[in-house]
Amino acid sequence: MKKYFIGKRSLIFLSYLFSFVGCVNLKTVGEFAGSSTVSIKNFEKIEYSFYQHCLDRCRDEAIRKYEIKRAEECACTLYQEADSVTQVIYYSMEGYFEGLGNLSQNELTDYSSDALMSALSSKELGPVRIEEQTVAAFSSLSNTLLRATTDFYRRKKLAAYIEEANEPMQVLLDKFKLIVGTNLKGELRFKRERLYAYYMDMKMNNALLSDYEKGKATSDYYQACDEIQRKEMVLEVFVKSLDEIAQGHQILYDNRNKLSVKTLKGILQGYSSNVKDLISEFNKLNN
Amino acid sequence: MVNLNSDQAKQLSDNFYFLGRAIGDFRYYNWDRLTLDEKKKLSDIQNSVLRFGEDILAYSTTLIMDEVVDSLEKINTITTEINDTIKTLNNIQKGLNVAAAVLILGVAIMNRDTKGIGNSIKEVYETWKVPHS
Repeated sequence: MKKYFIGKRSLIFLSYLFSFVGCVNLKTVGEFAGSSTVSIKNFEKIEYSFYQHCLDRCRDEAIRKYEIKRAEECACTLYQEADSVTQVIYYSMEGYFEGLGNLSQNELTDYSSDALMSALSSKELGPVRIEEQTVAAFSSLSNTLLRATTDFYRRKKLAAYIEEANEPMQVLLDKFKLIVGTNLKGELRFKRERLYAYYMDMKMNNALLSDYEKGKATSDYYQACDEIQRKEMVLEVFVKSLDEIAQGHQILYDNRNKLSVKTLKGILQGYSSNVKDLISEFNKLNN
Repeated sequence: MVNLNSDQAKQLSDNFYFLGRAIGDFRYYNWDRLTLDEKKKLSDIQNSVLRFGEDILAYSTTLIMDEVVDSLEKINTITTEINDTIKTLNNIQKGLNVAAAVLILGVAIMNRDTKGIGNSIKEVYETWKVPHS
């Protein structure tokens, strides 16, 4: 009888120990998911979009041509559609990482894929085409998320969740990086060139007479350049954080069946910490 | 007729950026030799060319072309040449013609006019290859 109790107690102790070890490392997964969510959400703080770029361009054109109208005319539909594609990608990634964080803490996820699915199904994307690979990634990720919200054994399914999501996540992260880091950031280069032409014309036309005006124009020009550069840096830092998230998620995927192994904690914490540093850098630049 | 992939769209946008810059530089280098009308025309063309580059980034993969790799290669080559040597171009009329040809190429690309794109690439190339005088 005594033997039986000792055996039972040992068993309880061992289970407790294992569950504790498991908790520690799931906590690491939770931390990584948490910092990734915060970092991805920074997208909403970026004060620049394709639509904003289009509006700025119309304003710059009106200034160049000295056009005064009762209301500014600006055709930006296609730029708004480019933003809507980016938004869809953003929501799906934010939803995934929030879900991952909740699952690792055994909490319910309240992710709803309705908005994502309706956006994907169509017209909202307008004539802006997204590659088949990306559409497949959306569909696969959204199915994974749906299962995660309904599965009773969510926590046990964490490894499966990560496994199913890794490939579409990597595709979407790549696409997101391309849109923000190459396309959106690339638009700013054109803005800078237009600015250069505006001030150069002013100079070549001898439009400014006094030294004060000339000094003021030069100062205004460089200040506007600085502002463009700041925006470029904000976008760069954001993209760097997406890079860290992609690498961290790949590590999670590679170790999905050993989520309780201690070494994973050390590796993943490195990515969490890098993402946190980039969040702080982003906030400094964006203030 | 194929859709451009993201890298190709970026490459094309880069070309319009550099062509827009080259047209602007040509305008400033020859400022005192250009009439008011020519300056205005070049300024308008430069703005349109920059717009093409911006629009290409926003629409990214919606653009189409025939023989994409070959067409892009030709646009790349001509952009590099124009960009490198526009400073030494003394022939004002040639500069204006090249700028107009680049504008037509941009319109063809944005209109997804695949036949027009092929013809415009040829036109830019031939206009640029006219011997300097």
